[in-house]
Amino acid sequence: MTTTERPARRDRVRMMTSAQARRRRVTASVFTYLAAGLVALFALFPVYWMVITSLKPTAEIITPQPVWWPSEFEWGRYQRVMDAGFTTYLRNSLLVAVGTTGLGLLVAIFAGYALARFRLPLRRYLVLVVLATQMFPVVVLLIPFFIVMRNLGLLGSLWGLIIAYLAFITPLMIWILRGFFLSIPNELEDAALIDGCTRFGAMWRVIMPLAGPGVAAVSIFAWIAAWNEFLFALTFIRSDSLRTLPVGLTQFAGRDATDNGAIMAASVMFTLPVVIFFLFVHKKLTTGLVAGAVKG
Amino acid sequence: MSTTLRKGGRRSPAGHPDAPPRARRRWSAQKLFDDKLLPLLLVAPAVVVIAGLVGYPVIRTAVLSFTDAAGLSALTGGEINFVGLAQYREIIGDPILRRSAIVTVVFGLACVAGTMLVGIAVALLLNRKFHGRGVLAVLVLLPWAIPHVAASYVYKWLFNDQYGILNWALTQLPGVDFTGFAWFNRWYTAFIVIGLVVIWQSFPFVSIALLAGLQTVPSEVIDAAKVDGASAWQQLLLIRLPMLKPLLLVLVVISTIWNFKIFDQVWVLTEGGPARQSEILAISVYREAILQLDFGLGSALAMVLFTILILFTVVYVRMAREEQP
Repeated sequence: MTTTERPARRDRVRMMTSAQARRRRVTASVFTYLAAGLVALFALFPVYWMVITSLKPTAEIITPQPVWWPSEFEWGRYQRVMDAGFTTYLRNSLLVAVGTTGLGLLVAIFAGYALARFRLPLRRYLVLVVLATQMFPVVVLLIPFFIVMRNLGLLGSLWGLIIAYLAFITPLMIWILRGFFLSIPNELEDAALIDGCTRFGAMWRVIMPLAGPGVAAVSIFAWIAAWNEFLFALTFIRSDSLRTLPVGLTQFAGRDATDNGAIMAASVMFTLPVVIFFLFVHKKLTTGLVAGAVKG
Repeated sequence: MSTTLRKGGRRSPAGHPDAPPRARRRWSAQKLFDDKLLPLLLVAPAVVVIAGLVGYPVIRTAVLSFTDAAGLSALTGGEINFVGLAQYREIIGDPILRRSAIVTVVFGLACVAGTMLVGIAVALLLNRKFHGRGVLAVLVLLPWAIPHVAASYVYKWLFNDQYGILNWALTQLPGVDFTGFAWFNRWYTAFIVIGLVVIWQSFPFVSIALLAGLQTVPSEVIDAAKVDGASAWQQLLLIRLPMLKPLLLVLVVISTIWNFKIFDQVWVLTEGGPARQSEILAISVYREAILQLDFGLGSALAMVLFTILILFTVVYVRMAREEQP
């Protein structure tokens, strides 16, 4: 098409025959599906490869020609990984995650509520500080924590980890919960107060049940963060019997560097609980994080 | 004071028939407790946690960065000398550490750019109507949900020099031979793999947040643009993305914060190697402070990373301010 016979854009659109329009629609949808396929491949192939490798017979893992589907499933590897100390790591991770979530909730529910409802002195600054904690790297905390915990004898204990995790998990919990409390109308408490509730009673009995979904989301957020944390766990825990899963996994991989099937099986077991939780609450986590950041 | 407070506190059960309506007793101890003391009590634990677990360590790191604290003796309050900026001078003078600081910025920015590009592209794709869109939107989240350490092991396996599927796939291309190609023996190919893991794990968040944002762009505006003959690109660049600018900015800030302080992926994939060439600041801090027990130098490195993040955040916040007239 030369420039001279090129009509104005608007006319061109109108001039399109129905056949042309259909061809265009078909091309567009072909490209859409192609792109969707590529995205799916990019996002999912590593996951697929992790799971399938963990289930292949060893001979089919180390082949120059990849084996896409195992000739038979080897489930025994999971049992072996469990026996190789994985159960201990699992227990430690559970303890730390539950401890962090519980203590964090206790602090964050109260603070989130207070920051949403009361005129506190320095409230603006407190809210800012809570946000600011998200902006610095946790490595900054690593050295002082290491020194203090060593001096307190907490280096070899899961309590040390819980305390360290609270440092960076609680502020975000406060922030997200504050958002949830802000979204609950004030009138509900006022009504409860007029009915003779104390302020605390109103919060505990009227507002908390309504904040249930928010509390659940924030708990899972804290749980996942503690479950995945690696740097502090690597630094603070020295004995094998107290390692959490992320560090346990690296130890395990170091010991069995050749057994990639087992490393993948351990990775799957480490990942599974997070993925399950995650798929239930991802919407709340995303909106919570973004809403918090936008409002700030 | 305390007795009246306790009396007030005990009166809590709601609906006591003989309890006078709370609203009328404006100056009672209960009211005083509710308005003045309760908020402080509720916030107190948070203040303790933040001041004790965040404020104190940050200040301690800042102070340590000006000292020569090193070795286990420094932990028990051994001799620590104030050395001014010597640690920072050492960072600038040491080629490995200087490189680590520069690499952190360059690699961090590259990861943010990659995350945003992939994130935006996937969001736009998911905003189109096609079969299986809902399923894809959920599946795309999987990489975000996978713990960093586990994801890193998967990529280590995908990029394995002997049995990695990527080398096999690349070798299938005509005229390409990647047989036995060791990705982790060169710093630049190692960074490609690390960057890929980082982007793989951080794009879903951007996509999902943006998708929610895209769906708030009123369809009338888009329809009007279509009637005026705007091409798909024009619709995107002139209407959709500008309307989402505040959200995009927030996402850039969040991915900057996440991507600049990565540690897990680098540690699992290369441990900073070969020859410390893929070291980023978080790794340097760990190596100098925890493995070498040089707390002064480690603290200074941590403060450098801290400063970099603060600088970026301030720039973004400025940009966000200018957006809102």
